[in-house]
Amino acid sequence: MKQAGYGLTLYIILILPPVSELLESMMVFHMHTQMPLFVFSGFLIAPFLQRKFPNFFNKWNRTGIPGLLLVVLIWTYWQLPRAMDDALLLTMVELFKFISLPFLVGVPLHDSWKKVNAKVQYSFLIYIFLSLIITGFLYIWLDEQICNNYLVIEQQTLGWSSLAMGFCLLLYLSMKLFGKENTM
Amino acid sequence: MEQVQNIMKKPKSLISLGVNTQDARISLTYFTTSFATLLIGGILGLIQGLERAGLYQLPQGFNYYQVLSAHGLLLLVVFTATFTIGYQLANLSYAFGGLLPGVRKMVWTGIFLKLAGVILTVTMIALNEASVLYTFYPPLAAHPLFYVGLVILVLGIWSVCLAVFINYRHWRKEHPGQTTPILSFFAMGVFILWFFASLGVTIEVFMIIPWVLGITETINVMVTRTLFWWFGHTLVNIWYIVAISAWYIIVPKIIGGRHFNEKLIRLVVILLVILNIPGGFHHQIVDPGISLTIKFLHVFMSLSIAVPSLMTAFAMFYVMEKAGRKKGGQGLFGWFRKLPWGDVRFLAPMIAMIAFIPGGAGGIVNTSNQMNQVIHNTMWVVGHFHLTVGVSVVLTFFGICYWLIPHLSKRQLTQRMNKIGIIQTWIWTAGMAIMAGSMHIAGLIGDPRRTSDTTYGGSDIALSWLSYEYIFAIGAALLFAGVIIQVFAVFHMMFFAPKGHTEYPVALPEEDQPAVPMWTERWGLWSILLIAVVAMAYVIPIVDMIVNAPPGSPPFRTW
Ligand code: HEM
Ligand SMILES: [Cu+2]
Repeated sequence: MKQAGYGLTLYIILILPPVSELLESMMVFHMHTQMPLFVFSGFLIAPFLQRKFPNFFNKWNRTGIPGLLLVVLIWTYWQLPRAMDDALLLTMVELFKFISLPFLVGVPLHDSWKKVNAKVQYSFLIYIFLSLIITGFLYIWLDEQICNNYLVIEQQTLGWSSLAMGFCLLLYLSMKLFGKENTM
Repeated sequence: MEQVQNIMKKPKSLISLGVNTQDARISLTYFTTSFATLLIGGILGLIQGLERAGLYQLPQGFNYYQVLSAHGLLLLVVFTATFTIGYQLANLSYAFGGLLPGVRKMVWTGIFLKLAGVILTVTMIALNEASVLYTFYPPLAAHPLFYVGLVILVLGIWSVCLAVFINYRHWRKEHPGQTTPILSFFAMGVFILWFFASLGVTIEVFMIIPWVLGITETINVMVTRTLFWWFGHTLVNIWYIVAISAWYIIVPKIIGGRHFNEKLIRLVVILLVILNIPGGFHHQIVDPGISLTIKFLHVFMSLSIAVPSLMTAFAMFYVMEKAGRKKGGQGLFGWFRKLPWGDVRFLAPMIAMIAFIPGGAGGIVNTSNQMNQVIHNTMWVVGHFHLTVGVSVVLTFFGICYWLIPHLSKRQLTQRMNKIGIIQTWIWTAGMAIMAGSMHIAGLIGDPRRTSDTTYGGSDIALSWLSYEYIFAIGAALLFAGVIIQVFAVFHMMFFAPKGHTEYPVALPEEDQPAVPMWTERWGLWSILLIAVVAMAYVIPIVDMIVNAPPGSPPFRTW
């Protein structure tokens, strides 16, 4: 399982203290690099786990919906400024981040994605899109510091980055909806 | 009859007889512009070499910085861009069996816009209204028409980009389930990068124009520099993709081999396209206003380009060894001697590739913070890019001329012309080795770049640079001879060589290669990933530069 190997390697690199400290030292990289990469590492590891524990996934995530709900729940939790603050201050929360993002977001996302139909997939992507746009504008317009550990300017930077990512997602969605996939 | 039908059913690219005549005219127009530019640029280069060494003084009314602005802009932007586009369009026409008629019109529009833009900018430099060097960093301010010229030039490039995208899409629609011919895949990579590269500089120019017109009073200098290098650095990788399109696909055919695994070639192109733009920050390592952490992260961005470069190096050695052994080369290095060293179509790109080894090593020095502080703004940098652009890129381009131009003009590459090409290649190599080599050393001992007179009132250190500057001048003289020969060769092959047919050397894949995966064709997705990478890389410094902006600067004219 080469792919799981890549996933594991990525995971180990991400939890190395110098790497995690570097990425967490900037709000944008914390939110838009470290966290998605954790999810991605879980995504890569997922097929290995699915093969190892097929019964578990069939039993708990037969339709794919429970898995996706878990993904939405955990991902939304990590959108909270408070959650990021806690992760920086409390080792237990940091540990929870290291485990929850790959294994409670990345893995179920991979397991659910093929099981749900296109409508659900689109709804999920639209949820991500909306969360990016809403937090984006919020962070740009708020003049107050909402994280103890990050300055207002970093907050604004995160806001702009969210809008940019939202824009990319919008491009992707419209490409999928309006363009013929194979001619793009 | 059945056989004929079978041939008809083959994909067009395999029975293509070469570049369509109407498209050939397009490419030849580009090459004419390109080599006329090289001639002028070469003369200016020689003048610079002589002036720095104190052997020549520009006549009244001209100044060194004016000449340097023209040299940089003409060679770096006009010469390379026109060559790139002419060559890539020929590849596209070859691969697709001709461009679409509408596309051709857009390309001609592009040519006229570009020429108009270039003439306007160069005229402003000639009138001494725009001695701002090719980087045109604010707060240096040129005449507004200089920037208008740049805008027109960019419009010309966009017109060609759009034309290429339309043609590519059309081909994909007409050939469902097929991957495009590899040469057109390279072309797509090149023009996607052209498009996104010019976006940065366009924003910059639209900040500058109101400022030089006095509508806005001040300008944010750091933002403009950042936007400039978004473009400037990407331009470098456009050349690189153009050069490797010849290294991967053309050179193997010339040495009698096959090209490397197509999936890996495509992966190299995709990586270069997605990861490229943020590398621009390595040009700003000593700029204030960008935090150390960001600079540190960008070292990874720039070094990540080393991955596709090393993949290319390994692939090329693999292909060459295989071809050399097929011709009976024995032992560890016997294959090396079996390569066609007497064929300019091979010799020129081969030297180009070899030059990329020291060139790349120098690049790693430049991108490392501490070492950059030693060489920043010294002649080392000038030596570095004359080695990378001036040899790795330019010699590849020169090598392409010797088969592409006669192919396009329906003439032959004669034995004699091949000989001239070989001589030209060696003169160029010697000239650049001498000039770029001494520039590197002079830079290490402190000789500043972009300075007409470096005697500094006879200070000892400054005088120690002088002997190297004489060596620059010797190299410059050789290079000038090289320029003359090359320009002669190009126009001779275009108009005077004996009529006939010259082969378009395109390598085939090796036998029994797996099918090329369809996912490599997802250019929409690659573009979105490119935008996402750019957004992540630029958001912190740009927001910081704007929100915490220092007081802006009014325009200055220093000449
Ligand atoms: C006849 C051949 C050439 C000669 C003799 C030559 C010589 C020089 C010299 C002496 C400088 C001035 C350095 C300084 O004062 O900082 C220079 C700058 C430069 N050259 Fe060349 N060069 C030649 C060909 C080329 C080519 C083929 C290219 C690119 C395709 C090129 C691109 C540049 C650029 C971009 C600069 C820097 C301009 C600046 O700092 O604003 N040169 N060259
Ligand atoms: Cu660069």
